[in-house]
Amino acid sequence: MQEITSLPTVHFQEVFSTVKGAIYQSDDECCWYIDFAGKLARFDYRNLLKLKKAVYQIDIEALLLNSTKAPDLEIIFICACDHCYVLSLLQIIALKELLQGTFVMLELNHILFDRLYRIVV
Amino acid sequence: MKDIMRIKCLLSSDVETLINQQIKKEAHSSAIYLSMASWCNRNGYDFSADYFFKQAEEERLHQLKFFKYLLDMGGNAVSPEITNVKGEYNSFREVFEEALDQEISVTQSIKNIAARCYKEQDFVTIEFLNWFFKEQREEEYKARRALELFEVIGEEGTGRWQIDKHVGSIEYTEG
Repeated sequence: MQEITSLPTVHFQEVFSTVKGAIYQSDDECCWYIDFAGKLARFDYRNLLKLKKAVYQIDIEALLLNSTKAPDLEIIFICACDHCYVLSLLQIIALKELLQGTFVMLELNHILFDRLYRIVV
Repeated sequence: MKDIMRIKCLLSSDVETLINQQIKKEAHSSAIYLSMASWCNRNGYDFSADYFFKQAEEERLHQLKFFKYLLDMGGNAVSPEITNVKGEYNSFREVFEEALDQEISVTQSIKNIAARCYKEQDFVTIEFLNWFFKEQREEEYKARRALELFEVIGEEGTGRWQIDKHVGSIEYTEG
């Protein structure tokens, strides 16, 4: 008997990408997939906002000016989230850029929705 | 692409941040009033102490109102950390001067949130804020009236005792 296995398919659209990574949105699951630092991680609404807060809070300037011999590694751990990032300073800058671009795109998407679909013509 | 951000939360992140700052401000206000109540009580101004206890309670209710609104609209309300609460005052009058300053600064800060809401056309939050504007009318009136008593009654002789007695009966009626 032939066995048929169907793999779950996830449809997602690119929200924003840079050379270092990309963020995709899945409408079916109402979540985002972040392709960064060699892994694809799933983030729901709350966790994405927590990640944004965690990354934005890192004082990049202070890390740049820091002359101690400690490695410039930063651990980004988010409560109640399956993923954790251990990033170097350059990666943090790249992730911040990726998130900033993503939130601008999401804001733009919001404006388009408001202007095009949510107003009765 | 779905607009997930809007589906989850009615507020923009800027308005959410401003309301969280306001929650902190109201909590700070409440703590300051409590400190004023303590000072008044220690210095024998019992009626004023009661007045400030009530004010502290009111500010706490304002804080909770903002807190609940944020949560109801899908935002993230942050329980604030309160530091820097003044414990000592130089005079009975100074307490009331600072109380008025506090109210003015609260009004200003709510106006600032409303200005941002108008810019974003967030009429839902503006409608919510209107309750606070009405409340601030009363709060500022009461604080101003209390300070006026110092002028009208005067601090000489039994003046301060008289002022203390009258502080509790200050009421605002819309004319």
